[in-house]
Amino acid sequence: MGKLLSSPKLLVIAIAAVAALLVSVAGGALGASFGLGFLGGPIPFISIPAERVAFIGSYQLLNSTVMFWFGGLILLFIAWRAGRNVKDVPSGWQNLMEMIYEFFSNTVDGVAGGRPKAGRRFLALVTTIFLVVMIINWVGILPGVGSVGRIESIEEWVHHHVEKFEAEVEDAHPAYTHEQVEAAALVHLLEEHGEDTFVAFDGIFVPLGQGEQARVPLNKIISFTETDLHEIETAIERGDDLSHVEALENIHHDIEAGVVKSEFTYDEGGSNEKDYNFTGQTAGLLVPYLRGASTDINTTLAIAIIAMFTVQFWGFRALGVRGYGGKFLVNPITKGPIATFVGVLEAFGELTRTISFTFRLFGNMFAGEILLIAMAFLLPLVGIIPFMGLELFVGVIQAYIFAMLTLVFGVMAVASHGDHDSHAEDH
Amino acid sequence: MDAEAVKPLAAAIAIGVGALGPALGIGLLAGKAMEALGRNPEATGPVQQNMILALAFAEAIAIYALVVAIIILFV
Repeated sequence: MGKLLSSPKLLVIAIAAVAALLVSVAGGALGASFGLGFLGGPIPFISIPAERVAFIGSYQLLNSTVMFWFGGLILLFIAWRAGRNVKDVPSGWQNLMEMIYEFFSNTVDGVAGGRPKAGRRFLALVTTIFLVVMIINWVGILPGVGSVGRIESIEEWVHHHVEKFEAEVEDAHPAYTHEQVEAAALVHLLEEHGEDTFVAFDGIFVPLGQGEQARVPLNKIISFTETDLHEIETAIERGDDLSHVEALENIHHDIEAGVVKSEFTYDEGGSNEKDYNFTGQTAGLLVPYLRGASTDINTTLAIAIIAMFTVQFWGFRALGVRGYGGKFLVNPITKGPIATFVGVLEAFGELTRTISFTFRLFGNMFAGEILLIAMAFLLPLVGIIPFMGLELFVGVIQAYIFAMLTLVFGVMAVASHGDHDSHAEDH
Repeated sequence: MDAEAVKPLAAAIAIGVGALGPALGIGLLAGKAMEALGRNPEATGPVQQNMILALAFAEAIAIYALVVAIIILFV
């Protein structure tokens, strides 16, 4: 303490840190219950599937794909920097890459039996998985990922969500015309999603300082009543000309406008209820341009399939089709029914390993993303910093686990049945 | 109770109960690893490596529960 007081620089830093903490506590969700909360925004809509950002021809470019390419570019850059000027005594990037290579070279040999070069065949894939997964985990928590994007308007949202209902209506009433199907699907959509909330955007930024109150339910954006919906439904059933139904026309008009129609108050706050007036502001959802590749289940599934497919390949190459296939398909007459059942279980085990690979990485990284979002709303500005560090750590650990499990499964696949088999052949 | 009201409750139960087993497992694993380190401090490297690997297996089960909870909440 004495040292802190004697050095003015440290003192200023300490005061600044405490001030930042106080500001963040007051500005976040805790401060919101005392009527402050000037830094809090509405919690963004959390989407499990990755979002589209652009179409290239008919190809849908997902935001997680962009980040995967970015991670790949970084890896290429590091590899280029490391291999550009190779020296006998390594330094800098070359040193780093050699360190990683050496570590994995020793690890695969250790796991594969301890003899030098015993794990040579596993080295390439295991190291690649580690590097790729680590880099995509790390670039996924860069600032701006998941927070910069475009606003999906109500019109687009309705367009996306109505498709599901249209298919349902078509199945139930195959005789309906196209207009009737559309109208019926819209009615179902409004009935089911009327309470869904959207963010009222003031310009291009997520509104700050209004917290959860800036979330507008759909029925305040599209004004409709039960009787309106009922009227449309009876019109559809009677087979009326739908272009003359006024309620439907109004709904279509509101969807196109996509602005907050009527005033509403957020009724969960209790004492801190302020009436914000959002009337006339554009409502929508944020669609981020970038999203960490490992928070998309397709990425993790792809890496898992590559890993498990290669494991099978190693097994077949080391033991042959009869040797490796014999682990899964066992003759019930010569070896007994229990061995057959065990073989089937083993085959299912390969499948569940793929699934658990997928969900382990996806779950960890997606949960981390949600954790960061939650901290950004509880303690804006400073709350996120320690958790960023945690996410960096989790990113490495998950990459290491992915790589090591691939290695262990590979070693298990190339190991022959050993004693059990050779005994059987002897007798 | 309607479906919307049950959702948060269901998610909370899913992750709460789902985390119990992995928590016990991780505790046991780490405890045994510490014991092993106490007996044989030279083996820190391999023990740590294998412990982290085994921890990942235990943790994965909690992650499944988490995925289920997330799906209940947001889908």
